Amino acid sequence: MNRSELTQKLAAADFALWDLHLYLDTHPDDLAAIGQYNNYFKQSRRLREEYESTCGKLTAAKAQGVEWLKSPWPWEKGGCDG
Amino acid sequence: MFVYEKKLQYPIKIANPNPKLAQIIITQFGGPDGELGASMRYLSQRFAMPWGELKGLLTDIGTEELSHIEMVCTIVYQLTRNLSIDEIKKQGFDKYFVDHTTGLYPIAASGDPWSAATFQSKGDVICDLTEDLAAEQKARVTYDNILRLSDDPDVSDAIKFLRAREVVHFQRFGEGLEFATEQLNSKNFYACNPSFDKNCGK
Repeated sequence: MNRSELTQKLAAADFALWDLHLYLDTHPDDLAAIGQYNNYFKQSRRLREEYESTCGKLTAAKAQGVEWLKSPWPWEKGGCDG
Repeated sequence: MFVYEKKLQYPIKIANPNPKLAQIIITQFGGPDGELGASMRYLSQRFAMPWGELKGLLTDIGTEELSHIEMVCTIVYQLTRNLSIDEIKKQGFDKYFVDHTTGLYPIAASGDPWSAATFQSKGDVICDLTEDLAAEQKARVTYDNILRLSDDPDVSDAIKFLRAREVVHFQRFGEGLEFATEQLNSKNFYACNPSFDKNCGK
């Protein structure tokens, strides 16, 4: 998977996960949605690992010291986003 | 607390600068129906919500709006990259440029700086959620108008994503309002304010 595909795939999985999360705020007993949520959760976790090893860590807590500063920022060219 | 993730909610890649379009889109950063106001509205209102379901909904949507501020700013940033002074003058960007160069500052398309006067935090569940429903519709219309004015497919793609989120948030707030009324006296929803009056809805 190239960087652009990886970015798109992670964004898509995280988006599905987030949208289901919002849905569950108002439908907390929907078991089918909880099942879907769990599937996307696994998918997102897998893609996240791959993304972070290629594009740099997503959160400051995971990036030690200056590693956080080295990867490009999401609005810039040259990053996995741009 | 909040934890930053070093990525956009929806990837944005704009090929061509267009400072004229940037001056329209910046209204969704600092305008009356923009993402900054949306985020501050929900993240402020959540403290008065009496039920976990609604504290969760406002926290989550308010947080998503923070990521939309970042998206709108990314669009404006990319539309104003590598400009010559000639382009700045020709496309009417000089009025913004003189005060902010190409930095991001929250203003409306009219040039008015962002103001907290664009939203309310009333400390009343029905009132606040009703405002939130209207806010999502106002933002949706603004995005519709931006789509009418944009002729750049890279920009319109990201704007369509943001527009769709307004529709989803409107839906969730509607469900939140329904949830709130179910907790209240069905003969008179306004009999008491569960955010303030003790034993209201109990």
